[in-house]
Amino acid sequence: MEQRIIKYAEAIKEATKQILESDKSAFLMGLGVPQGAAGTAVGLKDLFPTQVLDTPTSEAALTGMAVGAAISGLHPMVYHERVEFSLLAGDAIFTQAAKWNYMFGGDNPVPVVLRIAVGRQWGNGPQHSQALYSLFGAVRGLKVVIPSTPHMMKGLLISAVKDKNPVVILEPRWLYQVKGHVPEEMYTEPLDKARVVKEGKDVTVVAYGDAFVDTLAALKLIPQDISVELIDLVSINPIDYQTIAKSVEKTGRLLCVDSTNSAFSIGSEIIAKVAENPVGLTQAPVSVAAPDVPVPTSPALSEFWYPTKVDIANGILKMFGKPLLDIKLPFEELHLAPTTTLE
Amino acid sequence: MLYLRVAEQELVQLYLDKKLFSMVHFYVGQEAVAVGVCDALKPEDKVMGNHRSHGHYLAKGGNFRRMVCELLGRANGLARGKGGSMHMIDKSVNFIGSTPLLGSVVPLATGVAFEQKYNKRDTITTAFFGDGASEEGVVYESYNLAALYQVPLLLIVENNLFAINSKLKDRRAPGHSLEKIVSGFGIEYRKADGNDYKDVTTKAKELADFVRREKRPAMLECITYRHMAHSTPLMDEKYREVDTLEERTKQDSIAKLKVELLAGGTKESELALMEAELKKSVLADIQFALESPFPPKEDIYTDMYAE
Ligand SMILES: Cc1ncc(C[n+]2csc(CCOP(=O)(O)OP(=O)(O)O)c2C)c(N)n1
Repeated sequence: MEQRIIKYAEAIKEATKQILESDKSAFLMGLGVPQGAAGTAVGLKDLFPTQVLDTPTSEAALTGMAVGAAISGLHPMVYHERVEFSLLAGDAIFTQAAKWNYMFGGDNPVPVVLRIAVGRQWGNGPQHSQALYSLFGAVRGLKVVIPSTPHMMKGLLISAVKDKNPVVILEPRWLYQVKGHVPEEMYTEPLDKARVVKEGKDVTVVAYGDAFVDTLAALKLIPQDISVELIDLVSINPIDYQTIAKSVEKTGRLLCVDSTNSAFSIGSEIIAKVAENPVGLTQAPVSVAAPDVPVPTSPALSEFWYPTKVDIANGILKMFGKPLLDIKLPFEELHLAPTTTLE
Repeated sequence: MLYLRVAEQELVQLYLDKKLFSMVHFYVGQEAVAVGVCDALKPEDKVMGNHRSHGHYLAKGGNFRRMVCELLGRANGLARGKGGSMHMIDKSVNFIGSTPLLGSVVPLATGVAFEQKYNKRDTITTAFFGDGASEEGVVYESYNLAALYQVPLLLIVENNLFAINSKLKDRRAPGHSLEKIVSGFGIEYRKADGNDYKDVTTKAKELADFVRREKRPAMLECITYRHMAHSTPLMDEKYREVDTLEERTKQDSIAKLKVELLAGGTKESELALMEAELKKSVLADIQFALESPFPPKEDIYTDMYAE
């Protein structure tokens, strides 16, 4: 049968539409949502006038309100166009939603979903293209996922709405136009499991979000005789250490990829945990990540900030003492969001 | 005002050609606000802005050449290419910085004004922000602080009826009154026609004098029209109800000034010459920027901490 291919943003919209249709306690709110929210909600206001709310630019209040509505049993989906804007709602997210069930001794669910767009986008620089993954990974009481493909996006969003806890979906906006196979019907994906996307025996590569897509491309650049086991991390809160440890035990090598700063990265967290109990590890783990400075705006600088598929491939090649690649990527590939179709 | 207009219109092509590789918000249409307000300030007064600050910066006496260099990500830009369009800064003209996080400028400017009070200066601070930013909670906390600490702060709300494409009426309950709200905090309030230079500058002058004399905050709300789309030069007519193309053309502050000048005896040819000269200088600055070097790769690592 012919597989249906749609974009990441369309997968979000389709999941949202099916959720709003099937769950009348679900609603979507956020600034500019009726106007489409970067293609993730186009036309939904017309279909569900009472379930889709535009908001004033009042992140703190609107997120707190969503948390309150969730406490009372509604299923709000809040959209924040940039992670920096969600920080204005830090209290509602990190201190209220994340702690509510625990601090009241259980039986106090907060079924709120926070969709937050993160990461790279040309020309947006220090205050508009942070990812801040580790911040969301660090705060206990949240479930945090990063969908790497349109397929995962749809399944994770549906799982998130069905979950009784605050679930944060960090959406790398770099992926919005990436295409892939997505089933039409509703389905779920586990919120706390990493996926072994490709089995291999020489090295475990762990990646997530846009870095996962770059890693897929990097694998095409390295010789066939290096057998890579590729893991899509999916969840950063909690992190599925079991799947990673099992893989590392088999391959003996570990490389982690982050498309954001190296310091306090998800990759360094994984490497630290693996080092605590390095069963089977034969070589020092490697981290491929961005430099430990803010993202600059000038393309002449941001070009060198994000790790590319070539950097990832070279990270792997180096582990095996192979000659490194010297490939200069074209401007479009370095700076414009990809529109590739994933296999 | 014409300078701001001509300058930004020339930037449009750079943006479309992807040479201006920075998220940009054009100020076209709102020029009477920035120029009217900054004309009412002293050079020593400080100004801070938001994501749409090309106009604020130029009106404060900014250097277009260095601004374009920044927009094009060049090493000699205002922020050495690190910031881009949303991050204007030039302390030589007391433009203290602009930041695109909505509302954030209000507490920051309160602090800048606090320093002026603390050190008993005779200067004031002006913050430009929009009707959208006015919905952030921190803005109201800052009103209270500014009034409580009696700091010399002039708040300029540029109400262009939109936050991106969300209309005012979808974001506020009927009967919402900014005047009542800020008056309740003890902030002096006036409203101006932001499409009219004279109205803005007269009221801005009154309030700037008031803030300087009384050492307490005041607000000027300017109702104005944004001519271009939120963050691109493209048009977005389908969202507009009040500020239609016809209405914008009719209310355009620059067109109105032109009519007045002509009526006052200025010749059409003199105006045309003036516009041509402005355009020439703008194009020369753009050419300079296009020929300026990009920052070297190593610059990624500079500037994180002050030396
Ligand atoms: C805290 C925060 N939330 C959301 C945004 C996204 N955003 C950028 S500009 C804008 C509209 C701002 O409207 P207004 O303050 O009236 O200024 P205008 O763009 O109309 O000049 C929005 C919502 C932001 N920059 N910061």
